[in-house]
Amino acid sequence: MNQPARLVQGFVFFVLLLPLFLSTGWAKENETTLKIGISEEPRTLNIWLASDANSRKALSLIYQPLYTRNPDTMRITPWLAESMPVYDPREISYTVRLRPAKWADGSEVTADDVVFTVNLIQEFEVPRYYSKWDFVRKVEAVDKRTVKFYLKEPKAIFTTRTLVNYIVSRKEWEPLAEKAKTKEKPLTALVNTKVESPLGCGPFALEDWKEGTSLHFTRNEHFFGQNQTLAQRKLGPHVDKILFKIYGTADVAILALKKGNIDFLWWGIQPGYIPDLKKDEDVRVFLSEKSALYFMGYNVRKKPFSDRYLRQATAIVTDKDFFVKRVLQGYASRMDSIVPAENTFWHADDLPHYGQGLSRDERIKKATALLAENGYSWKTPPVDEDGNVGSPSDIILPSGQPMQKFVILTPPADYDPNRATCGLMIQEWLNDLGIPAIARPMSFGALLQKVKGEHDFDAFILGYGRLSLDPDYLRSFFHSRNDKSRGWNMSGYHNPEFDRLATKSVSAMDPDKRQELIHRMQEIVMRDLPYIPLYKPQEIEAANMKFSGWEQMVGGIGNLWSICQVKPNE
Amino acid sequence: MLKALARKSHTLERFLEGWSLFYENTVGRIGLFLLLFFALMAVCSYIPPLIDPMYHPMTGVDPEVFRSTPPSPTHWLGTDNIGRDLLSQLLTGARIAFLVGITAAFMSIVFGTLIGMIAGYAGKVLDSLLMRFADMIMVMPSLLVVLLLSSLFGQLNIWIIVLLISLFRWPGIARVIRAQTLSLKQRPFIDMARVAGASHLRIVFRHILPNVLPMALLYMTFRVTSAIIVEAALAFLGFGDPNTVSWGMMLQWVWKTGHMFQAPYWLLPPGICISLITLSFYMMGRAMEEVLDPRLRKEEQRI
Repeated sequence: MNQPARLVQGFVFFVLLLPLFLSTGWAKENETTLKIGISEEPRTLNIWLASDANSRKALSLIYQPLYTRNPDTMRITPWLAESMPVYDPREISYTVRLRPAKWADGSEVTADDVVFTVNLIQEFEVPRYYSKWDFVRKVEAVDKRTVKFYLKEPKAIFTTRTLVNYIVSRKEWEPLAEKAKTKEKPLTALVNTKVESPLGCGPFALEDWKEGTSLHFTRNEHFFGQNQTLAQRKLGPHVDKILFKIYGTADVAILALKKGNIDFLWWGIQPGYIPDLKKDEDVRVFLSEKSALYFMGYNVRKKPFSDRYLRQATAIVTDKDFFVKRVLQGYASRMDSIVPAENTFWHADDLPHYGQGLSRDERIKKATALLAENGYSWKTPPVDEDGNVGSPSDIILPSGQPMQKFVILTPPADYDPNRATCGLMIQEWLNDLGIPAIARPMSFGALLQKVKGEHDFDAFILGYGRLSLDPDYLRSFFHSRNDKSRGWNMSGYHNPEFDRLATKSVSAMDPDKRQELIHRMQEIVMRDLPYIPLYKPQEIEAANMKFSGWEQMVGGIGNLWSICQVKPNE
Repeated sequence: MLKALARKSHTLERFLEGWSLFYENTVGRIGLFLLLFFALMAVCSYIPPLIDPMYHPMTGVDPEVFRSTPPSPTHWLGTDNIGRDLLSQLLTGARIAFLVGITAAFMSIVFGTLIGMIAGYAGKVLDSLLMRFADMIMVMPSLLVVLLLSSLFGQLNIWIIVLLISLFRWPGIARVIRAQTLSLKQRPFIDMARVAGASHLRIVFRHILPNVLPMALLYMTFRVTSAIIVEAALAFLGFGDPNTVSWGMMLQWVWKTGHMFQAPYWLLPPGICISLITLSFYMMGRAMEEVLDPRLRKEEQRI
């Protein structure tokens, strides 16, 4: 081919491709994408199976609840519902009116979808959801946008724990549920159903999932909150797309944030990164309170841990301030109850603060005295006759038997370095009392299997990063009914008085009366110490200055309010 | 009596010859000095906790320090995030490196030498079986298997880690020892021993073992390096013994607590130490190889 012909051919080719370049260029220029870094790939997009944090984050953009927490007051506020529920004590029923809303495919969200969701959970007894709905006797669609829930008995937790659960579309789930029913194990079939494009009514819909790399979401044009004012906030979303980028390690993710490759790290950051991030002018660090509980639990089914004095002695030598000041670098607060102190209405104040303000020697002396009073002895005690603290021999139980070695299970350091370090420190402090403790980090799955599934353990350190604001978890953690395989009562705590109060607290509709019961429950737990509460870390997050409008609330800025409000800075 | 003395002096003579060759080798000399330096560190690791309990590498914390601090007169290498002295940790790390490296290497040498000698001497089916078994172990990704075991059974004790490393590191040695045994088996002195009525056990341990031992010891130096690296890798990935302060563990702490790019005084020393100690063993091994194998020596050194 001669030269002019080649030039002409090249020119024609360029002209033909020009519109394509221009269109993509325009699209990129006009579209705003919020890029979010997450730590791991979501395990599933099946709402009934999703229990890991990253799946829940992805699904929170898609599925929506009837009510959510108001960022200012943390009380429930209407979300998919139009107004607060109306309670009828005569019928023991709640009536909820839905706001006009559409699923992402344009079909209408109706009361029938709500009825379908509740029936599906009850019929399949879907784990994690069933306990929140099992006391609902009947649910009916009064009209297209009104739904009525009939309860078996009055339940204080219905509005705070039940109505904040997600609603699914009948259109999406009915065929899947019907198919699951034909299987030998319907529940297993339902939770194992592979969901590739979940249908929700939230601000975003899933566009694409590149496994191992990223998830792409596009704005749902039918989102009911668009341009609405809810809880005094004008909602967007103001971005067209959201991109979840998966990073294996915090270092890489933080580097990406500093370089501007991502705009927000939806990931609790270790305190060690803060000084470096604060130096960067393009990055803003957010420190938020967290409704959380990190604790050490005992297997009180077994001797000698069934003895509460032994547990109290271990609580005395456990230096919680050490964890707060050193391990968590001050980005935490000590806990002396199962209910965080920031949850002011439900938190009981007059509880024992074991060992607070004592030096290491004073702790050892106090714990030694308590143990000696209750029948424990040593060949060489931790404190000699002159009151000097030294190296003790192994402790001898009141039965006369030497105490066997016992293991404190912790998550491994690569999962949570703080808890692994706490385990080691507690081991050393218990050794100071002659208690032969060994901290053993273990993979998280294996730890849960041992503690929750098999009850084959001595002690463990675990945490709840997102405790609900309603203190009903006290009942879940310590009611004897939940002492079963995979039950919430991991310690195997049994106390008839506590059980009675817990049962009563669920039905107490008067907040003041319920508060009294919850306080009493905390007193019992902090006396018996099946769990020793340790600390409550702050949520440390970081975002790029390119976006503003983050909603900082309990739990951090990674929440739906932020997603609906963030906008690029001009 | 005279015979024994003559043999002793001969052994001494050979050792001194070997030593002078080793010492003339610059690589070997550097390796040796490095190794002596680390040995000194390991010995010194017992001193800081005696000065003050705050220098205990695992549990001692400076009451005045609440976060990672750079080197200071009180803490020559600085402190970690909870106020523990980094120099004490580094010195203890040297002890752990020696313990893991030498023990794991010694154990793998014992396994490898025994299996190699038995396979080479017995031959036939037993040889094939043992060598195929060695092949199977050799192709196993040892780090991955140890990681899997660790995640299944919880964090492993340092001795279990040592045992696992040695169980995965013997096949290479077994192959070399087998080859040597096959060659030795054909020598007249073995035939003579057999004709004189020596049992198989006596032939293997009295006549073959002394001849393969130098080679086994040479391989031990290389195995030490791999054992140290495997332990460091395990600890860095969060699967080390949590009750042990090793250099890998120090790296894991600096990484997981978010100080990787902010505390070079914490990150660099353990990293450099791992590199140098493995290098020192490797250099010693190279020099020893030259001593044992005349073909590797320069012309003027051959004797």
